[in-house]
Parts: sequence; C-alpha cells; structure tokens
Amino acid sequence: MTYSLLITAFVISTCGLVYELIAGTVASYLLGDSVTQFSTVIGVYLFSMGIGSFLSRYVDKDIILKFIQVEMLVGLVGGCSAALLFMSFEHVENFRILLYALVTAIGVLVGLEIPLLMRILQDKLEFKELVSQVFTFDYVGALLASLLFPLLLVPYLGLIRSSFLFGIFNALVAVWTVHLFRNDVKGTFGLRSAAITVAIALSAGFVFSDQLMTWAESSTYQEPIIFSKSTPYQRIVITCKGKEVRLFLNGNLQFNSRDEYRYHEALVHPAMSSLKNPENILVLGGGDGMAVRELLKYPSVKTIQLVDLDPEMTKLFRAKGLLSQLNNDALSDPRVTVINQDAFVWLRKSKDKFDCAIIDFPDPSNFSLGKLYSDTFYKTVKRALKPGGVCVIQSTSPYFAKNSYWCVVNTLESVGFHTTPYHAYVPSFGDWGYVVASIDKFEHPAAYPANLRYVTDESFRQMLNFPPDMVATEKCVNKLNNQKLVHLFESEWGEYVETF
Amino acid sequence: MPKRFTRAVFLSMMGGCAVAAVSGKFLLDALNARVKFPIRMLGPSMNRGHMIRDGKMPKAATDAERTKTRVTIIGGGMAGLSAGWWLKRNGFADFKILELENEVGGNSSFGKNGISAYPWGAHYVPLANPESEYVRMFFQELGVIQGVDANGLAIYNDLYMCHDPEERLLKDGSFQEGLVPRRGLQPSDKQEMRRFFEVMKRYRELVGRDGKPGFAIPLDLSSQDEELIALDRISMAEWMKQNKFLGKPIRWYVDYCCRDDYGSLPEHVSAWAGIHYFAGRKGVAANAEMNSVVTWPAGNGFLADKLREMLNGKIETGSAVFNVSSTETGATVSLFDVKENAAKIIECDYVIFAAPRFLARHLVSPTRRDETVSSPGISAHAERSQNEPLQEQFESAQYAPWMVANISLKRVPEGKGVGLAWDNVSFSSRSLGYVVATHQNITTQRDAPTVITYYYPMAQDEPSESRRILLERTAEDWSQLILADLEKMHNGITAEITAMDLWPWGHGMIRPSVGYIWGETRKVMKNSMGNVYFAHSDMSGISNFEEAQYQGIEAAKQVLARVMS
Repeated sequence: MTYSLLITAFVISTCGLVYELIAGTVASYLLGDSVTQFSTVIGVYLFSMGIGSFLSRYVDKDIILKFIQVEMLVGLVGGCSAALLFMSFEHVENFRILLYALVTAIGVLVGLEIPLLMRILQDKLEFKELVSQVFTFDYVGALLASLLFPLLLVPYLGLIRSSFLFGIFNALVAVWTVHLFRNDVKGTFGLRSAAITVAIALSAGFVFSDQLMTWAESSTYQEPIIFSKSTPYQRIVITCKGKEVRLFLNGNLQFNSRDEYRYHEALVHPAMSSLKNPENILVLGGGDGMAVRELLKYPSVKTIQLVDLDPEMTKLFRAKGLLSQLNNDALSDPRVTVINQDAFVWLRKSKDKFDCAIIDFPDPSNFSLGKLYSDTFYKTVKRALKPGGVCVIQSTSPYFAKNSYWCVVNTLESVGFHTTPYHAYVPSFGDWGYVVASIDKFEHPAAYPANLRYVTDESFRQMLNFPPDMVATEKCVNKLNNQKLVHLFESEWGEYVETF
Repeated sequence: MPKRFTRAVFLSMMGGCAVAAVSGKFLLDALNARVKFPIRMLGPSMNRGHMIRDGKMPKAATDAERTKTRVTIIGGGMAGLSAGWWLKRNGFADFKILELENEVGGNSSFGKNGISAYPWGAHYVPLANPESEYVRMFFQELGVIQGVDANGLAIYNDLYMCHDPEERLLKDGSFQEGLVPRRGLQPSDKQEMRRFFEVMKRYRELVGRDGKPGFAIPLDLSSQDEELIALDRISMAEWMKQNKFLGKPIRWYVDYCCRDDYGSLPEHVSAWAGIHYFAGRKGVAANAEMNSVVTWPAGNGFLADKLREMLNGKIETGSAVFNVSSTETGATVSLFDVKENAAKIIECDYVIFAAPRFLARHLVSPTRRDETVSSPGISAHAERSQNEPLQEQFESAQYAPWMVANISLKRVPEGKGVGLAWDNVSFSSRSLGYVVATHQNITTQRDAPTVITYYYPMAQDEPSESRRILLERTAEDWSQLILADLEKMHNGITAEITAMDLWPWGHGMIRPSVGYIWGETRKVMKNSMGNVYFAHSDMSGISNFEEAQYQGIEAAKQVLARVMS
C-alpha cells in the first residue's frame, strides 16, 4: 500500500505541474508577454499551494476521505481549466481575475494534496523515510511533467485535451485511493461513483474538445449571427443587431452597415467623379456589392465587371433580402457582370479596357495577398486601363501602418502611375487610406453625384491632407521577389496587436 | 461480499468505459491520420532501360522499317533538346530526337494534376552569368529575359523570378528565414559563417592567371589555373577541415548544399565542385537581387515543354534505342518503337548521343550488327578498344539515386515561425525538404490546395547499395518514410494529404567525385567515337540545366560544322 501511495504522490505532482504550465501557456497565448504571464502564474500558483498546505492543519478527521474529495476537485477544476480559460476569454470583462482565481483554486487544492498524503502515510513509514520518499516521487513527477508538456502534450494533444487528460488522472487517483482504503472509509460506493462520474465527464470533455472549441469560437462574435458559412475560400459570418449588419471574412470585419457608406463613398467617388462620362468599370474584390452600388450612381456607366473569387459571396449579396437591401440590389443590375475568378489570372487573360478600376482586396497581411499589391500586379492593371483611365486602391491605414501605406503609393508610382493619396475616417476601421492611381495627372472632380452623405468637394480636400504622424519613414517598392510590403505590414500592425 | 463484488465490477466497468473513450479517441485520431490517399509509384521506365542493358530488346528483322535522317539525337533530356534547338536555330532541320520515355524532359520532367503542374526533378535556374551565353540566348527567346536596362543588365520576367519568401529552415522547432542556420549560434559559429561566405565571395570574384573566371557556368569555361584545379583532387570535407570550418552549423550548411546540388555528401564530392556551388553563380538582373533564381510551377519542366513545342515534329518518344554503330560513312541506329511494337533502323550521318553517358557502354557498338550494310566501322572500333580501360573507369563513375515525391495537400503547410516559402527545409532531416509548386501563383485565395515536391537524395550509402534499397522499398515503405519526415516538420500534415506520387531515380545525377571534373576520364569521355558525338551533363560532372544545355549545344556545333563542310 505504501508503494501505491507513493505512486500516487508521483501522479498528483505531475498533474499539479501540468495545470500550472497550462495556465501559464494559456495566459501567454491569450494575453501575450510570456515572461510576465509565466512568472505571475507560477508565483500565484506556488503561493496558493502554500495556502493549501497551511489549511491542511484544519483537516482533523477523515483525512483519507478529504484526500479523495480533494483529488476529485483538483481533477474537475484543473481538468476543465484550459477549456474554461479559452472559452471565457471573449466573454469575461476582466480575464485576469478569472485566470488568477482559477490558478489560486487549483493551487490551494494541490497544496492540500501532499500534506494530506503524508499524514495518511505517517503511520506506515518512519518520518525520515516518509519525507524522503514522498518528496522524491513528488519531484520526479514534476520533472516528468515539465518534459511531457512541451515535447508531447502541447504538440500532440493541445492544451485543452492535455488539461482534460490530467484531470482524468486525478479522478483515477481518487478511484484508486477509494479502492485502497475500501475497508477504512465509509460510503465507498458513493465516493467511487462520484470519482468515476468526474472521470467520465472529463473524458467527454477530452473527446469533444474540438466541438467545444468550435462552439466557443462561434460565440466570439458579440452580436447575434444571422448567417455563417465556410466556403472553399473563406469563412463568411454575418451578424445583425438592431439595424447594424456586420460582415466578417475569416473573423475580420469587412463592413458595418452603420458606417460602410463612408468607406465606399471614399473608395469610389474621387476616382469616378474625376472622369468625364466613365463607361466601363472594373471592380476587383468587393463581392458585397457596396462599391457597385456607388458606381451605379453614374448614369454614364455602361458595364461593370466585378471579379470576386468566391461565388458564395456574390450569390449571398445578390439574393433578395436584407443583404441586397444594403447594396440596393446592385448585383442584380443588368449592367453588372459577376466573374468568380482569381483577379490576377482573369485580368491577364482579359482583353477588355476600362475607364476606372476599383481595387478592394484584403490588407496585405500574408505573402499571397502581398502579390496583389506588387508592381507586377499594377503593371497588369495599367495595361487594362483606357487612355486617361484611373484606378483606386484600398491601401490599409496610414495611421496604423504608415510605411505600408506609402509603400503602396511608391509601388504605383514605380510603374508609371500618377498617384493621389488620401485618407478617410471610418469609425469601424479607424483612419483608412486609399490611393488614386491615374495614367494622366489627376484632375480634381468638379462635381459629385447628388445625395452623397460623406464625400463632397470640401471633405475630399481634407482627405488629401496628411498630418506629420502619417508621413513615411521608409521608402520602398513592393515586388514579387522582395514582398517588402508584407514585411512592413507585419511589423507595423504587429506592434498594435501586441499591445491589445 | 457478492453484492460488493458486483458493485466493484460495475464501477470498474464504468472506469473502463472512461479509459476506453479516451483511448478510442486516440485510436480514432490515429486512424484519421492513417493513409487515406492514393499512393502511386511512377518513375522512369526501368524495364525499358534494363532490357536495353541486358540486350533483351527484340532485334531488327531484315524487313524492319528503315528511314534516313542526317542527324539522330538520342535522348530527349535537356542536352538532347538543346542540341535540337541549336540545329533548328541554325537552319538545319534534317534531324530526329529519340526519347526512351513517353515524354521528353529527362531530369526536367514534370507532372500535372487538378491543382498545379509540378516538377519531377530540376526545378530552377539561377540568373544567367555573363559567360552563360547560351542560357541568355534561350531565355531571351522564351521571354524569360525581356530586355536590357540602361546599365546593360538583363530584365527578367517578374512572374518567373522566384517570389519572396524563397527559403526557410526548420531548426529548433520553428522556421527561420533563409537556409543559413541563424538560431542558437555560438559567436564562433557566426564568425565561421561569415568567414566562409567571405572565402566564397573571393572565389566568386577570382580570375585565374589565364584571364578566365575561377568558377564559370558552364564549368568548361573556368580558369585552368593549377591552384584552382588542385581543388578537384581533394574532397569538400577535406577542404573544410584544411580551412578550419569545423563548427556544426557551417558543416550542416555545406552538407545540405552538396546533397542538394550533387545528391552526395561533402566526403564524396570534389572540393572544386563543392566551391563551384557557391562561387559559380554571378548572375545579375536589373530587377532582382543577386542569387535570385527563375522558377515555374512545373520546375524546369517549363523549359523542357517550351523546347518540345519548338521542336514539334522532330521528337519520337517511346523509342528504345538498343544499338548505335558508327560506320565509315555515317551511323546506324537500331531502335524498338514501343508504341508500334516494332523494331526500326535509322541510317544517319551523325549521332548525338545525349543519353546518360554510362549507357554508351551498352549501346554504342564498334561493329555493325546489321549485316545488310558493308564493313564495320574500323575507326570507331579502334577508338573503342583504346577507350576500353576508361570505359571501365567510367563505369565506376557514380550516380546518386534520388526519390522524389509529389504530394497534393488540401492547404498550404504553415508551421511555426516564418510563413511558407518556396523551398522549405528541415535542419534535422536527411531529405532536402520540399518546394511548393503553387508558390508562383498570384491569387486572392487563402488556404488553397497545393502540391509540394519532396526531394530525398540517397547520399548516405554507396550508390549501388542505395539503388538496391531504392528499388526494394515499396510505395508503402516510401510513403511511410516520407510521412514520418514530413510529420516532424508539420505535425498532422498526413490528414491534409490527398495524393502522393513517387518517382525513384536510379541514376538521379552524376556525382562530381574527387578528381572527376578535371581528371582524365572526363576528357576522354568527351571525345567523339567515329560519327557519334556525346552530349550530356555527365560530361560536365555537374547535373544541371546550364551544363546539359552547354554539352548539347557544343555537340550540335561540332556536328553542324561537319554537316556544313
């Protein structure tokens, strides 16, 4: 029996250390700054173990029973800890309070374990032996945990499953202890059933951890989801609350119906209004049809070709309903042709020429998107423009990523465009940048379509003004073989992401 | 007691269920990770090759179809295609290219599926050196080079130049940019690295006493300065030792480069060849940094395919040549047409033998086997016997066996650290990692399916032993080996795989062993035998596009000179 109990010491210390590591890792994943997270988690955890050890003095009777109960609790709380932390992150106002509360709870319980175990063993071993043996097993277990965790658990099981797995071990220790002391403890059936129930509950968590996470992720949107679908190209999620409709692609906000008019008016009108009677228009990206809605305000327009890779997107925004109301049924207009192809591939094959091209791609956050901002891509766009043609490019925020923004401007200039940089304030996004690239020198629009809510002659002139904090500190041209923009974008937006 | 026993049984059953659920999940995952995709063993038609070697090809009947062509090119790899390209470019059209396989390309073969084209071997060409005239000529014709800027620098087609990021290395659990190890280096390692690249830079800029570049591409244009030639007489490993490059990171890097370019270890590669890898490439472009390369989804299959288009009507695939006899007046080529299942004879003035050089021993015969034509070629016979010892020696020339796998994936494998690059290498693997076929695509699609080409040179053992292992292993064995390696780079990648095709190269590429490049063997091998001229990168000792093209064109030039006279 002594040997069995020493093995128990080994198992519980492994479990204890794993919980500590899990809490530290989850905290650094979610909060960043791993040094701070790890050292505060370890500190709080160890201190709580001290509290647990102190509290053990108040356990006078039924030590074995208490030990079994503690094991069950550790299993339950520790086992669920990772899932609980991940799932609550988006919903809890102050995540740190939850984190440290959980760490304290686990710490106190784990702190109770060894003193109780030693007292169970005190009659079976000499004091010298007792201390030596229990701590030997305790520390060996700690070593095992610290090796298992980075080498096997995190890479092969992931944090959530690891935590459930070790919860199960704690519960099994409870079951085992009940078995060992079946003659000394009263109500073994109830205890054993409870311990096994805990084990089964944790196993269920282990098995369904993927489903748990998916459910947790889907609840990260603050507003009710009215539509969600994974297409071969992206995950489309639309939320609606009151009158506000938001579109998310792969979790990134694309528009909020409350202020999207600002974004799309600023995207379309300066370029379009600078042209006399634009007829043939190209839209790259922008499958939501909002830019097309703005384009249809020009009676001279004869054709609009919209190239967006994802047929689900264009179908969604063409079908009559809430979404097509947002774009005034723009995608059903007879002048509009929807082409579901890759923009670059299509553009290279196309022989059509355009008066104006609206380029509304996602930000250059990875290398494949970076290519759509390269000099090679802009050369291809330039070839597709009629003499005197213009295009406009959404080009990330000149406030958050000023060098990225100006890199787009430089790249356009490097292929021979005249550029007119400007920026507009869109509350949902912040200060957002655009560039008009024109074959001839840009002429300020003499007039805009009636009933615009944001763009006017005066407001556009303000948009042209760049205060000193939006001036570039680096100059570069984005090419396919250097992908300068992606490197810049990563470093500039990275700064902001880390401080959140 | 019985009551208690039942309870215990009940409870342990419950416990058993919990354990079973957990282990079931493990099992389910393991099953999920199990191979659920088709694996195909493709590869060069070894049967055809071995039948030729063993003299088992059906002999030409007396009534076999006989045709006349002035020049016959045997082998439709880069050397043979380039020879044809040169003849055609110079207005000579009376030639045929015979290819054993059903497709031309040789080491520049490629495949294609619903996702992308992908290479089966060579997959890039560095920017052309100033002395690499043929490469530049060819690139201009193809539009790979689009013009010249004000400084005289070539302007390359942006779409063909390898897009950034080019390379990444998995070391200590995360990917870093570039292939030179950077993480966890001792100051002494860093110092050594720097010194190594300085030495290589000096070699790159070095001009021999004969006024030629120290290390040229093609290598035959290199300086014959005795000091440099002497490097061919020691191994790269020896050179590293002599020059005190002893740290693990630099030795790994050189080891990787030798395996990458020559399929061999530094112990087996001549130091001259080893240095050539670093010091040979001097190409510059108006619109790219030095050390850039051009590449395509099909790898150099793009170049092979362009040549195939240009040489339309001149190529006969499925032609298993089993005998080449040089006569006083010309040469006779006997072949077995696999498609028509019939033996054929081609009578010609000249043969350009652009198949691997080791095959000449089996194919090029001094005497005519075809009795209907008069006396045997004496000159060829004389040369043959004179060359015999060298032939023996050449037989010992070593070819590195390779396994190449093309693996279709549901999405690009990212991994920790820097994002997916074109060339992705693992520090701890014996493979060379993989290149991504869709790297050059410009697409708005994220998480798109892709094909990766995985390269595994069997550099560790003796080539003949490796060749035996290569062929002995089944498709299943190979896929397990490759998956184990890839899983180390990307945990869980097996579940993303939709297909795996394997291509064993028994004689993947010539090994530039110590003394091979500037020794006697290579000199003699280049000599023509009667009316048979030899053209293959084997005669360079380095297996790449530039060398194959150079050997092909040089042979074509010699033949052309004789045809014209």
